Amino acid sequence: MSTLIGLPKNGYRVVPGPEAYLSPSAAIMGVVLPEEGQGLIEGEIVPQEVAMEEIANRLLSARNPMLFPGPLVLWAWSDKAVAKAKALQDMVAEVPGMRIIPMPDYRPKYPMINPEVEINPNHPNLTIWHNNIDVCMFVGVHCHFANLALKIVRAGTDCYTIALCGERGHEDAMITLRDVHAEEVRKITETIKRVKMGRVSCQKEE
Amino acid sequence: MEALKISPGFEKVMPQEYLELVEDGPYGRGLGVKDLGTFKELIEVHPLCAGCALGLSIRLILASLPNPENTVIVGTTGCNAILMPQVAIHNIHCLFGNQSAVATGLKRALRLRYPNTHKDVVVMAGDGGVVDIGLAPTMHSWFRREQFTTIMLDNEGYSNTGGQESGMTRQGVVVNMAPLGKKFPKVPLHEVAKVAGCAYVATATPARARRLGQMVRRAILVAREIGPAYVQIFCPCSTNYKFPPAESLKRAKETEITEYMVPEAKEWIERIEKGPKAEEVSNEA
Amino acid sequence: MPERRVVSPEYMLFDAPREKKYLIGNEAVAEAAKRANVDMAIVYPITPQSEATHIIGDMYAQGYIRDYYRGEDEFNVMSAVAGAAMGGVRVFTATSGPGTLRAFEMFPVWAGHRLPIVCAFMTRGVNSPLSIQPDNIEIGWLADTGMLIFHAEDPQDFFDMTLQAYIIAEQPEVHLPVGVCVDGFFVTHTREIVELTPEDEMLPPYDPSVSPVVAMDMETVPVRHMKDPFVMKSNYISYNTHASWQQEVRAAAERARKHIYKYMGGPIEVTHPDAEIMFMTSGTAAAQARVAMERMRAEGIDVGLVKIKVIRPFPEKEIAELAEVPGIIIVPEHNITGWLAREIRSRVNNNSKIYSGPRVFGGMTMPPEVIVKETKKLLQAGVAV
Repeated sequence: MSTLIGLPKNGYRVVPGPEAYLSPSAAIMGVVLPEEGQGLIEGEIVPQEVAMEEIANRLLSARNPMLFPGPLVLWAWSDKAVAKAKALQDMVAEVPGMRIIPMPDYRPKYPMINPEVEINPNHPNLTIWHNNIDVCMFVGVHCHFANLALKIVRAGTDCYTIALCGERGHEDAMITLRDVHAEEVRKITETIKRVKMGRVSCQKEE
Repeated sequence: MEALKISPGFEKVMPQEYLELVEDGPYGRGLGVKDLGTFKELIEVHPLCAGCALGLSIRLILASLPNPENTVIVGTTGCNAILMPQVAIHNIHCLFGNQSAVATGLKRALRLRYPNTHKDVVVMAGDGGVVDIGLAPTMHSWFRREQFTTIMLDNEGYSNTGGQESGMTRQGVVVNMAPLGKKFPKVPLHEVAKVAGCAYVATATPARARRLGQMVRRAILVAREIGPAYVQIFCPCSTNYKFPPAESLKRAKETEITEYMVPEAKEWIERIEKGPKAEEVSNEA
Repeated sequence: MPERRVVSPEYMLFDAPREKKYLIGNEAVAEAAKRANVDMAIVYPITPQSEATHIIGDMYAQGYIRDYYRGEDEFNVMSAVAGAAMGGVRVFTATSGPGTLRAFEMFPVWAGHRLPIVCAFMTRGVNSPLSIQPDNIEIGWLADTGMLIFHAEDPQDFFDMTLQAYIIAEQPEVHLPVGVCVDGFFVTHTREIVELTPEDEMLPPYDPSVSPVVAMDMETVPVRHMKDPFVMKSNYISYNTHASWQQEVRAAAERARKHIYKYMGGPIEVTHPDAEIMFMTSGTAAAQARVAMERMRAEGIDVGLVKIKVIRPFPEKEIAELAEVPGIIIVPEHNITGWLAREIRSRVNNNSKIYSGPRVFGGMTMPPEVIVKETKKLLQAGVAV
């Protein structure tokens, strides 16, 4: 029987690419989704707080951190969506240089898409800003399309991917959290603030 | 309508097209063909051929939806399908020919989930998709009196697959798969529709834009209250019929405009259109 | 109709009191649909399925099911349930043999659209020549559509697996169609004791807002969403997107495994895992193999049984591990192609010890003595052990 915790036995890790002509799905490679209160870092199950800490570190270390909000948070279709959108914007404000490119829909756009303005899961590797985005975060993207895009990004770029999921999480991201709503986003923001403070005080000591 | 708001703060990052749709789109405004040019349309660009009468018809249809914010379009394989990703309302691309079956399930589901709102389901498909491969589910949806609208974009052949004969091709015309000329007449589906149970049947042309818009709107309103509606729109195809694109509309005029309503539908339409302000049709069921 | 109350899936499967009824399989599956709080059933007659969907029609008349109609053919029925599922309601349908083939174009569509439709397949022979009799050749074909496939042994399984199917199908990270298969007549028309949960308890309603794709309602979420967007431009990234899409459907099936353990107790049931001779089979062949096993054990022959309940996602690790022990593995099946033996052979290390058979089809029964006889013949021939 396969164990439900830890890394896949075959040693597969979900790490930045470019990985392959056609990357495998992490789920097929044995990566399993986290249970409640857990997250995934590069395919390994960790406590939620550890994943949050790593998210903060990755965002704060990035040259070009980018938020890709999807339709589930771009549209004010429920009170929860509005609250999560607000929390996300507060989070972005805490990360120096972090920008937002929306993913408003999942269609291939004719005649072309402008990667400066919007991202699209049907050709995300063309739209990771000419491969200048080194850390990106997916939020509010419908799970099916998030997984497609995350996998294609891993196949063709070296972008570090983070997916905050309102449901069960995404194995195809390098870091993922499940059950992320406004409150969890605020917790990430608090973690970012704390890590930032730590970095500043370290610098002072130096 | 509440749902059509962008989450506060994200307006500044939304693409221009979406900002325009929210601020100046047709949702909840009761606009029509006569208002074209004064609002942000549901389609911005499309990849169809120059002179495509079908592309123009779709633009007119989209401008005529009584409640685009509560409309879902169901389509099938064909030229129109490659345009549909650009349309700013929900739409389904079906298998080839099963669109009326999918629309049946969808319409009934939406009626269960939203008993107090009219969710308009509109099938929009080509002539091959409706009259050939999709004839059974099209007609059965009429037999069953399913309450949605079927719009056939009739370009008299399979244009997207390379110009083959369809049931709507005219007798004698030589096209692919009719190397000796088509051997039987154009299928009179609008006549079939009347005996099959449609409460509203019209034949229209994009060359008469306002009339087309009125027919689409009437069809959808009849489908809500009375029974199935069918609109057949003649959309000449310059690419496969090999005439200059500039001639499309001239050719599109060469069709008979007809309109048929069962008495209940007629009564219903008169009641709406003679109201104080014809555009204000409630979306509440 | 009694006043009904919503109960949790866990309560219904594990804690709810059970009442014994004497039911045929077609009645059992209808009872499951009733408790599954199905919104809409769309059906088309075909033997041996029809009786189940007649009963569901009666349930609609009584108010248990909110909408119901007889469609024009199986292809359009499968299309209509897809439309309903895209509209965000819970649906049920069923078919058999030729109906399955008539509808086939829709099954990969269900999976590709990520629609959690539950369809019962009361399998039967396919033409030609005509047969309405049991034969499960269609399961082998269904196995590669992207759907989850369960194979029930008896009316009790049919009841339980149909409820389990809805619960697993609607997990947000799975969200795939499930085919619950039984061998026609042998299960659909055979009366057995079935333990049912209370009639006035039902599963919570389906919530389309947790779907991994957009519900086609212009509300959750609004404006522009195409189901499903064209990814057929002629360029590398379009092909890559299509490939990734297919991979994601298979990944979703993979994610079902933990729910299969939680809600079904696992994809297999093993009796005597250390036996020298192992029957590995599914459906009613498992019931016959169990009788054969008991007879042979009474004679002192060391025989065990692996009943495979889940065909997709195939329990490859479990089967590979179990296959290490016995000297010979015998795979009785109710079809000519031997699809189950093929599945097993492709997953184990030493597959020369797998014997595909005995196989019967076209309505023939599989008496346990046939399994016993063939097994003894193999032993005498020194094939193994």
